[in-house]
Amino acid sequence: MDWELMWDSLPRLLGALPLTLTLVFASLLFGAGVAFATALLRLSGNRVAETLTAGYVFVFRGTPLLVQIFLIYYGLGQFESVRDSVLWPMLREPMWCAILALTLNTGAYTSEILRGAILSVPVGQVEAARACGMSRVLAFRRIVLPMAIRQMLPAYGNEMILMVKASSLASTITMLEITGVSRKIISQTYAVFEIFILAGAIYLLLNFLAARLIKHTEWRLTPYLRTRA
Amino acid sequence: MHRHPPVSDTAPAAVVVEDLHKRFGELEVLKGVSLTARVGDVITMIGSSGSGKSTLLRCINMLEIPDEGRVTIGGETIGLKKIRNGRSTVPADARQVERIRTRLGMVFQSFNLWTHMTILENVIEAPVHVLGVPKAEAIDRARMLLDKVGILAKADSYPVQLSGGQQQRAAIARALAMQPKVMLFDEPTSALDPELVGEVLRVIRQLADEGNTMILVTHEMGFAREVASKVVFLHQGRIEEEGSPDKVLTNPDSDRVRQFLARHLSGAA
Repeated sequence: MDWELMWDSLPRLLGALPLTLTLVFASLLFGAGVAFATALLRLSGNRVAETLTAGYVFVFRGTPLLVQIFLIYYGLGQFESVRDSVLWPMLREPMWCAILALTLNTGAYTSEILRGAILSVPVGQVEAARACGMSRVLAFRRIVLPMAIRQMLPAYGNEMILMVKASSLASTITMLEITGVSRKIISQTYAVFEIFILAGAIYLLLNFLAARLIKHTEWRLTPYLRTRA
Repeated sequence: MHRHPPVSDTAPAAVVVEDLHKRFGELEVLKGVSLTARVGDVITMIGSSGSGKSTLLRCINMLEIPDEGRVTIGGETIGLKKIRNGRSTVPADARQVERIRTRLGMVFQSFNLWTHMTILENVIEAPVHVLGVPKAEAIDRARMLLDKVGILAKADSYPVQLSGGQQQRAAIARALAMQPKVMLFDEPTSALDPELVGEVLRVIRQLADEGNTMILVTHEMGFAREVASKVVFLHQGRIEEEGSPDKVLTNPDSDRVRQFLARHLSGAA
């Protein structure tokens, strides 16, 4: 075990942290938007919208994230229409391809978490809202969504942790985030064990913080569960 | 014994139900029910489970949409229209239903307090967000109502921290906060432990004494007799008998009512 090499490599690895965090936060943020829209469309009662969103979820949950990243980064550029489109300046950047793939992937999973949470809100809670004159939209905003978000937090915490780890796949399309930098250092030093241990430790720390964050949010949002052990 | 004073036939109609039909799939739960509640009336609906009494109550505020018939609240008839080639019925104007619901306070068997809000937040929620009452004013009124139902001390607690009886009293305060013209109670004590029934019935009785117009579905026969201005007995989706509590509960014309009372009074007394 080369402790000195580990210590010397630490600054370079930590230098890759901002990129990892950018990938994770951007895709979680956009993914939440995608998930929200998808979940609402899947519950909309409109056949076409339900079928399309169900298809999206089926495809992005059913295929490996790595394949999705490759398809978006290497695949889309083959089409002239994509290269001519206004989106090309973004789609030719590995950064945006990684964010797009991660967004669509987490969007699919999160939409299912949210959909399940919305469906788990007891009918009586909604009836009470409707009975005092709330419109569907108001009842959704004031009663259903706040309850669904509390309900989905533990599962969403899982999803956040998965995304922190999934961001490492961006290294396969030249992104120098933590895993990318690790591979680069290893190619120069051949210290596979030392460097990946270090990278693993950084991911572990990130996920420790993510888990604490979600626990804290849960605690904040559910004061009514605190007095009961 | 305490009795509700009879309500004059000339009092204005608060709720008029005409020839209501409701089907759940093949099962016809209401087979043409008509009922009028005048201002000041306390109508208790009794009958075996499955007789349609809860469905009838839920049709009044359109939590169930009747397949046929008319519901008129305070002189305003709720518009309904047929969709899918007449196979189902929906409100013609969702806004109208929402507006009418603000005048109808509903109390559920299972309380249905919003679990993520404190008791006070539950009570001010609809006044603030539906009626647009200023928050400070809504809070003052909510505190007064919570005091009236005897749980002001629980204002900042969450529903799970309350007993069933306290939750139901909070739910009554929540319904009253909208200053409804008519209160609807759907078996308000059926989910309660026996020793908690009394505290809820006391609150409902007080509301009856204050002259509120109320329609309640209940299994508490003694209570029905005391608070009601009119008792309605439903059987298999039809009104079997209706009249003053003394008439229906003591000397009914219908054998079915007689049998029902024999079963319930022997067990309950």
